[in-house]
Amino acid sequence: MKVIKIQVNNKYHELLIDEHETLVHVLREKIGLTGTKIGCEQGSCGACTVLVNDEPVLSCITPAMRCDHTEITTIEGIAQNGELHLLQKNFVDKGAIQCGFCTPGMVMTSLDFVKKNPHASVDEIKEALSGNLCRCTGYKKIIEAVAETIHPQNKSNDGNKIKSSVSGIIGVGHPYIEATKKVQGIAEYADDIRVKNVLHCKFLRSPFPHAIIESIDTSLARQLEGVKYILTGNELPEKFGVLPISQDETALAIDKVRYIGEIVAAVAAETDELAQAACRLIKVKYKPLKPFFEIDESLNDIGQNEKIHPHTKFNNNIHKKAEIRFGNQEEGLQHAAFRSKMSFEFEGVSHAFTEPHAATAYWDENGLTIYTATQVPHYLHRALAKVLKIPLSKVRVIKPYVGGGFGGKSDPFPHEFIVSWLAMKTGRPVKVRYSREEVFLCNHGRHPSKMSLEIGADQNGYLKVLDAEIAIDGGAYGSFGVVTTYYNGVLLQAPYAIENFGFRTYRVYTNKPQSGAMRGHGAVNSRFASESLIDDLAHQMKMDPCVLRLKNFMPSNTLTVGQYRITSNGSRESLMKVMEQSQWEKRYGKLPLGQGLGVGCGFFISGSALPIIRNELPQSVVHLKVDFDGRVLLSSGASDIGQGSDTMLAMIVAEVLGISMEKVFVLAADTLLTPVDLGSYSSRVTFMAGNAAKMAAENLRIEIVNAVSTTKEVPADELNFSSDKVFTNDNKVDLTWIEAIDIATANRGAITVSGKYISPKLGGDFKGSGAGLSPSYSFGAVVAEVKVDIETGLVKILNIWGAHDCGKAINPLAVEGQLEGSWHMGMGQALSEQLRYYNGLLLNGNFLDYKIPTSLDTPPIHSNIIETIDPEGPFGAKECGEGALHPVIPAIANAVFDAVGVRITRLPISPEDILQKMKNNSLSFVKVDSN
Amino acid sequence: MMTAKKIYLQPNSVHEALSITNSFENDFRFLAGGTDVMVNRFQGNETSSCLIDLSGISELKHIKKVGSYLSIGSLIGLNDLKNHSEITDEFPVLIEAANAVGSPLIRKSATIGGNILCENRCVFYNQSEWWRDAVGFCLKCEGNICIATGSKKHCYSEFVSDTAPALISMDALIEIIDKEGERKIKLEDIFTGDGVHSRNLSRTSIIKSILLPLNQKFLSVFNKLRLRESMDFTSLTAVVSADKNGKVKIVLGGVDPKPVIVEGSNKSDREELIKQALKKSRAINNEIFSRNYRREMIRTFLKRSFAEIF
Repeated sequence: MKVIKIQVNNKYHELLIDEHETLVHVLREKIGLTGTKIGCEQGSCGACTVLVNDEPVLSCITPAMRCDHTEITTIEGIAQNGELHLLQKNFVDKGAIQCGFCTPGMVMTSLDFVKKNPHASVDEIKEALSGNLCRCTGYKKIIEAVAETIHPQNKSNDGNKIKSSVSGIIGVGHPYIEATKKVQGIAEYADDIRVKNVLHCKFLRSPFPHAIIESIDTSLARQLEGVKYILTGNELPEKFGVLPISQDETALAIDKVRYIGEIVAAVAAETDELAQAACRLIKVKYKPLKPFFEIDESLNDIGQNEKIHPHTKFNNNIHKKAEIRFGNQEEGLQHAAFRSKMSFEFEGVSHAFTEPHAATAYWDENGLTIYTATQVPHYLHRALAKVLKIPLSKVRVIKPYVGGGFGGKSDPFPHEFIVSWLAMKTGRPVKVRYSREEVFLCNHGRHPSKMSLEIGADQNGYLKVLDAEIAIDGGAYGSFGVVTTYYNGVLLQAPYAIENFGFRTYRVYTNKPQSGAMRGHGAVNSRFASESLIDDLAHQMKMDPCVLRLKNFMPSNTLTVGQYRITSNGSRESLMKVMEQSQWEKRYGKLPLGQGLGVGCGFFISGSALPIIRNELPQSVVHLKVDFDGRVLLSSGASDIGQGSDTMLAMIVAEVLGISMEKVFVLAADTLLTPVDLGSYSSRVTFMAGNAAKMAAENLRIEIVNAVSTTKEVPADELNFSSDKVFTNDNKVDLTWIEAIDIATANRGAITVSGKYISPKLGGDFKGSGAGLSPSYSFGAVVAEVKVDIETGLVKILNIWGAHDCGKAINPLAVEGQLEGSWHMGMGQALSEQLRYYNGLLLNGNFLDYKIPTSLDTPPIHSNIIETIDPEGPFGAKECGEGALHPVIPAIANAVFDAVGVRITRLPISPEDILQKMKNNSLSFVKVDSN
Repeated sequence: MMTAKKIYLQPNSVHEALSITNSFENDFRFLAGGTDVMVNRFQGNETSSCLIDLSGISELKHIKKVGSYLSIGSLIGLNDLKNHSEITDEFPVLIEAANAVGSPLIRKSATIGGNILCENRCVFYNQSEWWRDAVGFCLKCEGNICIATGSKKHCYSEFVSDTAPALISMDALIEIIDKEGERKIKLEDIFTGDGVHSRNLSRTSIIKSILLPLNQKFLSVFNKLRLRESMDFTSLTAVVSADKNGKVKIVLGGVDPKPVIVEGSNKSDREELIKQALKKSRAINNEIFSRNYRREMIRTFLKRSFAEIF
């Protein structure tokens, strides 16, 4: 141990540190400056960037000893006297902050850059930020914020300017209500929660993909001083799973392990290092079993003893089969003038949110409290009660700020049960933070898939038939997999009207970390396949692929073959918009060899109409309370994971009540204090929680109207709510908000009201008819422009033009952010991301080898919001957070076809594959060469 | 609990650094920028009890002309190279190579000396201790088999420095100091070709400076294969330099445990040069791009380089 003297944010510290301690550890753990984030611990994400003597460094790989006698600036030291730095202000105003986890590092890097490069170009900004990963924004708004700081424009663009006037809140871009907290590093994420006397938890994980656990010897580990508890599977035998039909997982492996990385033992100890050391001392004897890694292996019939899960009903490792057919595919194909059939393969991809899973649990007289990075506090609440065998009334789940989810935090997770149990057993708070490797091992990402699709059209280009055979690799456990199995098929029944539509899907178990729900859940890969086939059909017919799509879009207000109720439908507007912007008609098919344009369209649910756990509760409830101070307390179980739902709720309430946003205070996602919302999954929050908030606000308005109209003796329907006032047009009544509240609360006190959302009854009555039912659906289109290096096969995306029908953009700034993030994530899956395995062992569980696109890999993104005003959405709004991902990947692949005549059938697109196919093609593909 | 004593020392001179090492046998490690060593420590591939941080040694931070050479101190930051006209004027390819390393944040800490000595990489090696235990430790971490090839003898971890190929292509020398004293050798001579012990320098060796021959009027072309335009280590770095006398030197990184070097002249048969480079490269399937693809890219990159130079 050594003493170092450092000045941090102008405050002097003399600290006793471990000589090999990293700077980030000292800042977070010794000084308590948790604004500096830990994302990877290997210098490959930039979240931990701080300034040391005014130079940016990656504090996770900087020895603290090196910083002795230096001046350090962290994110907490940037704002001065409560005033944000101009750069911070621009991050807030431009919508550069979503989950906010990369923000501190991003701001520190930018701050240094802006100072040293007062005339930098956008390209230079992109270069400068290329060591800081962001998973939410697609970097676009971050780059804009930095550019604005360098070259202030001082003009409002695209209506993004924050509007200080109180009228017209809906439809005006608002920075997130918590953005100023996030940009200063004050917002607390799960790993930032500090409780006294906390124990640290670490896990021992299986090195075998499939093996019997013969024995676990914890005796040596127990002797280690400071080790408080060692937990093995038998203590928590109750099974869980996010779906009631897939309760197949236990908190720790019991009797057998099913993937490399599965938790076998957990240690609670006084320090991280001790817990880790104890894990190393636990001796486990395994008896290896035959592992299953590939879909094909798991389809084979085997003996009962060989199965990964004995409970499955087949003689193999198939977890779920689904088949639904409408019309007659065989006949449809026979009569089709044009047909296209192809097989596709997709590697698994990960959400790769920047914040690792983390949780802190403790017990007191009220039972269990757990702070955890989750998208589904309600489902976790139920699962904790079940697994720990405690009453529902003794569980409190609190979601702090969450650093991105994308579906990867939408299951209950083993670590959440484990720290809760350890906290009970030790009588002390217990915390855990996953390493980046553990995050990847936890997975729940998009299913690796193999599929074969066939499509047919008549002479005139009308699609007549689509048949799909799909197998998806679920990994070791169920997660959302049964839903994924259906979504791969059912979500192909739109946006094109195809009468002979059918599919068969299998989900298999394999001995790999489980797959689950990821942004665009279930339909991303099959959408890629179908959009590629449509492109191929167009090519065969010598028809413009956009024209072919326009011909086949279903109209608004219709039913699909599977009886989805389509209400608003902006397919056509979306596609026309991106065609126009990309100068499609002028340029498609006419670019020189190596350059190409491609198109794709999409379709997605706007909230699952059926709750995961069947019951009579509304899907979302919002409570409002207003008291003498005029402030409206909005409480909702909805989980803001960076997508901006807290802000959306506040905007809706402010709009209905005609008050400014500052009068609304949002309390969210605390299962003790807030009413149930089912969580952030299936793109449901704006539609469902938004509607509940709107109803609650309308109910509050009625209360105020009744009180004011009685007291002031004016008809109720003459009262207006706007600009922080309640008034009649003739000014007979002209009350400030607070005066109106005085009247409303007189002799009564605080007013509390409630609003709820329950989906209408929808759908047919055939088996599987519930899959994909949604009160509304989103639509969208993307045109991508690519450049393929014909000698290396490397693909560079030059432009993305995207349009998405979100019904109505309640907060256009946030909607753009969601769209840009979705397109960006799609680009990653298209070109660089994949989970690679070696005998079941994940090869690339880190941010260097799992390749999220950096700012330099991200092309200009041209965003278009299409508004169709959904009849049932709050103010006409529907989803925008997932569906936009669907069209972008096939658009890129179709652009590669336009560029070099190579049809992409595997993701990620491999340059090697392109070169090989170009060689095989060389005679048949002719393109105008550039001069 | 037994924990090894952890020591961190910050000598002010090369002399001091060397004398410190006497107390630690082999249980120490020099640290320059630390961007490579600290990551290897996090993963448990580097476990020395003593870290000797060289970053405070000012005598290693010079750039000056020494005779017919430009001497670059080994602690010059990758990001600082471009601030020296001596380098931008005569050796612009070195700037290009330095800018291809890691990310802007990495380059702010990383040094040229450190980059030259960047540890060889392999997907079966650059992993956590738990991971390497799960797969069975490989040759490079004291196991007895190469996971990538099944070989019991040879480790093919990749040499991944981006700056070293550029330097070697311009006939760089390095000045090394260790307990035996100082010596000047060709940079390429420190690489062994064995992935486990990829350099023949003793643990106490410190690179004092890198020497580049002046007035050679180098024409150089740098190419790096990687999937992303930032962050990524190389999958193939190809540098071709021609000097004023028509001598041509090809250096490849990322396709062998050591830099692959082919020398010729502007009169040489280009196909022959490519063949030699391919013959010398022992790329294996141990990273994101396949062996075959990387070999194909050797040809592509060299053809492109020749077209630019000749």
